Amino acid sequence: MTAIWRAFATPKGSVAGLWLILLVGVALFAPLLTAFQYDVQNLKGAFQPPSAAHWLGTDEFGRDLLTRMMYGARTSLTVSSVAIGISVLAGMILGASAGYFGGWFDRAVTVIVDLTWSFPEILVALMLVAIIGPGVTGTMVAISVAYLAQFTRLTRAQIMAIKGEPYIEAARSLGGTDSHIVLHHLIPNALAPVLVSAMLATGDAIILEATLGFFGLGAQPPTPSWGGMMSSGTAQLFKAPWIILFPGLAVATTVIAINLYGDALIRALDIRARLRVA
Amino acid sequence: MTISLRKTAIAASVSLAALFAAVPMVFAQEAIFVLPAAEVGVPTYNVVATGNTNTGASLIYDTLTVQDADQSYHPGLAESWVEAPDGMSWIFTLKTGVKFHNGEPFNAAAAAAWLALYATTDNSYMTAAIDKIEAPDDVTLKLTMKYPEPNLLYNLSSSFMGVVEPKAYAAAGENYGVTVAVGTGPYKLESFTIGSETVLVRNEDYTWGSSLSENKGPAKIARITLREIPEDSTAFLELKTGGVDMLLGVATDFLGELAKEPTITSLTLPGQEVVYMPFNVTKAPFDDIKVRQAAALAVNQQEILDSVYGGVGSVANQFLISALPESKVAPEYLISYDPVKAAALLEEAGWVMGADGVRAKDGVPLSITLWTQSDSVFRRLTEVVQAELKAVGIASEITIFDSSMIRDQYKTGEQLAAVRSYFWNNADIVDWFFGGDRLGYPNISMFNDSKAEELRTKAMTGSANQAERIANFTAYHEYVLSQFPMAPIYQPVQNVGYNKDRVTMPAVIRGTSIGAATIMDMSVTE
Amino acid sequence: MLAYTIRRLLLLIPVFLAVSVIIFAIIHLIPGDPVDSLLKVGSGPEQRAIITARYGLDRPLYEQYFIWLGKLLSGDMGTAIVAKRPVLGLVMQAAPLSLQLSGLALLFSTVVGLFFGVVAALNRDRALDQVIMAGVLLGSTVPSFWLGLLLILAFAVELPWFPVSGARGWASLVLPVLTIGLGGTALVARVTRVAMTEAAQRDFVMLLHAKGMPPLRIQLRHVLRHALIPVVTILALRIGWVLGGAVTVEVVFARPGLGTLLIKSLNQHDYPVVQACLLMLAIAVMLGTLLGDILQAAMDPRVRAALQ
Repeated sequence: MTAIWRAFATPKGSVAGLWLILLVGVALFAPLLTAFQYDVQNLKGAFQPPSAAHWLGTDEFGRDLLTRMMYGARTSLTVSSVAIGISVLAGMILGASAGYFGGWFDRAVTVIVDLTWSFPEILVALMLVAIIGPGVTGTMVAISVAYLAQFTRLTRAQIMAIKGEPYIEAARSLGGTDSHIVLHHLIPNALAPVLVSAMLATGDAIILEATLGFFGLGAQPPTPSWGGMMSSGTAQLFKAPWIILFPGLAVATTVIAINLYGDALIRALDIRARLRVA
Repeated sequence: MTISLRKTAIAASVSLAALFAAVPMVFAQEAIFVLPAAEVGVPTYNVVATGNTNTGASLIYDTLTVQDADQSYHPGLAESWVEAPDGMSWIFTLKTGVKFHNGEPFNAAAAAAWLALYATTDNSYMTAAIDKIEAPDDVTLKLTMKYPEPNLLYNLSSSFMGVVEPKAYAAAGENYGVTVAVGTGPYKLESFTIGSETVLVRNEDYTWGSSLSENKGPAKIARITLREIPEDSTAFLELKTGGVDMLLGVATDFLGELAKEPTITSLTLPGQEVVYMPFNVTKAPFDDIKVRQAAALAVNQQEILDSVYGGVGSVANQFLISALPESKVAPEYLISYDPVKAAALLEEAGWVMGADGVRAKDGVPLSITLWTQSDSVFRRLTEVVQAELKAVGIASEITIFDSSMIRDQYKTGEQLAAVRSYFWNNADIVDWFFGGDRLGYPNISMFNDSKAEELRTKAMTGSANQAERIANFTAYHEYVLSQFPMAPIYQPVQNVGYNKDRVTMPAVIRGTSIGAATIMDMSVTE
Repeated sequence: MLAYTIRRLLLLIPVFLAVSVIIFAIIHLIPGDPVDSLLKVGSGPEQRAIITARYGLDRPLYEQYFIWLGKLLSGDMGTAIVAKRPVLGLVMQAAPLSLQLSGLALLFSTVVGLFFGVVAALNRDRALDQVIMAGVLLGSTVPSFWLGLLLILAFAVELPWFPVSGARGWASLVLPVLTIGLGGTALVARVTRVAMTEAAQRDFVMLLHAKGMPPLRIQLRHVLRHALIPVVTILALRIGWVLGGAVTVEVVFARPGLGTLLIKSLNQHDYPVVQACLLMLAIAVMLGTLLGDILQAAMDPRVRAALQ
């Protein structure tokens, strides 16, 4: 916990952290922050450029773009963080068991992980959405599977590195069971690098979610997501470039903030070397 | 692309692009046209069997007759024809000296063999009235009819009745229309990439252009690439930046932008398209006619015309293009926006408004799936329809399919409602989309009603002459409308945009749309 | 070195087999029947059965897999169900366009990334370093399709320098290469900068400084050479990433490469083509990674020593 504050105390970390807090706040309290509704069309007021009434303009259905971006933050942040959450959990269980037990299980996990790891995430995600079907659930599962290999690999490497440490030997000689050792000693010690890389991966996941949305596979209309807004905005690129400009900026600033804060965290925790193990 | 490069090199000789422009390839008389969004994704040029085709078919194939903009018929490959007074036989006299692209001669025997191909395909209704096909000599084709067919000349002029070389057709098997397509038309198929582009090269032997074109052949443009661009904005940008020469369909959204461009001009032709929303009458909640009617009345045609289509075109209140006499149905059959009545009908049917703005009956919410295709204009329209349905308490979830795949999806019969359009200028389209033996696709509504089938048979086979046919089809059309298997939405006009520095159009556009007749007289300047 | 290369190549065979099984399995998990598009209006189950049998889709899955694999090894990728052409031809038409794009994008990322990485390292913690690092970070955090669209708007529409879409001539490559390349630049620049900084603290560098060699020469001739090893490693790992980027960017620029073919065939349920595209991309990733490993081995004296 203290590392989070130390990271926050750095200049870059504070700016990035504040932006992320602001964003989460906006996503949570979107209905209170805007007078407009995200799904009510006003076709006569379509394609309005940014103005005092509509700060970021209106889209092709006359809906307030700022409002849709606030609600879109809900979708994009939820999908990417839940997906990465699932991915981290599953990856830690897989990676920790592989690293701790070794043997054929380890070899099998390593082979599969290496196979999928070199494969572009977008392809893995595209194929999975094709199987599951488009929509919020489909993209969430697809993104979590796409990043599974990364976390399995990282956790396994961490476990391998600390498995031989004297205190683990000590715990075992004191009669600690496998699950006790894994849950109480190995995972907590491997946690910091995994969580930091999970944070950075959330940034990538936001981009991946937007890309799937661009292919029309993300949240289905009228539910807004940043990717989906850009997807339908593509058709209006010429007429109303702001429809695609602002959601893209939102993605970029959010991912930058995540990266900057992640960097600050890495410094605060001093785990750069451990991240490179993987 | 060559065009834009050449321009770039002149206009910005010091720009970075000049470094990459290298030597622009200049083809003599080469033109790139973009097909209308509605023609994107045609899977084959096998006009005998396919249910969908595009402008390319009219360039590869000739037809026996051709139809002009005023719906009158003129000689194509048939120089003249005589119908028996009782309508039970026709004699066509064919042009001489006509050759297929593969060198085979076009004669009555070839025409007879070609006509026989239709019997087993999806387009069999085109020749269903023909009992016997005879070729007494090289130039005479005699058709004996099972019943009079007042629509025969129309069928023979349709792009689905392009004359195909029967031997090549048999030899190519399933590949016909994709890797090979052999007709007598002014252009030969060089390559066809489904969903992307068709490359056509001039048929140098062509001298038998139809009576609708000044130039009888060969065509002036040596090579035509028909590109398929599903995104209207991309197509527009390509035209604006000189990447293509002509858009055969300009989305109305871009007409304003287009007018601002000094090098681009546009022309408007009467529309042949109707945008509508079919309902699956076999599945709940649309198995209840009241729900179908309510959903149809929830569609605000005027709002859609004004906002989605910028006021260009007209509203649709029935299923046919308004140029057809069969579209003049009695006023009580017209379907127009009426949200109050829609709400009342839903109440009557037992669907009560819930707090979330969605109606429910016995705890089941009134929620449907709404299918549409991936073209941006359809996606946008469908979102508007979604909001309009929501306004009367019908929730809907949009499912988007690839434009070239959606017809296969309809064949599963799993659709509830869809937003789509068709292109056709004949009343027999009612038979095509609502005939009880075509469930799935084209009968997306899965409409199979005994009264309708009776009226349909009468309209298709029981009309001795044109006047009877109009009366029969009007009655059939009216009955179908009364059952609400679909909601009419919008009738576009055809907007064609082209680069006037490049393309010279003939003074008068002949034919029902930009096809072989016009393209024969068209030229491009280098 | 040769023995190492051969051993690594042989190791690819089981990996290739595993990948082919995975791809085959994935394809058959996707819902939607390609037979639908071949059926005539109003066909019954009999016609469906006939067509299913004609494409061998009625056999057990493992049998279909071995038939597919057997044909694949003899260079036959089957016939596209929708496009009705030999799949090999379709793939061979598309693959060069994707390789061109990915190769140039990788080259762009490497050259530009190395340049900025070196400049940033030489000016470590000064304003220039901060500006460069902020700039490259920005490049890696925007979605590539968005960047592509903005580039189209700026350099194909407002300033009509490059074509909007398509794949005719080199001019049509500029914007797609920039779109993918800018993302990779960030990574290369960051890794170069860190690696240079770390290498600069090594003993031999100190020694060279003590000998009085000019600092810039030390940096460029000795430090950079050491720093290149991690850069090559990262680049090899990112080949898949570049190919993934190419999929999206090809769609944005309507460039008829493997990515466009893949997406289109996926939408059209043309499974033989999807299978082939995935396999080609997988092979490209595997060979790229291998090449990276070999290069790394050749460059790193420690690895070289270990191999001998």
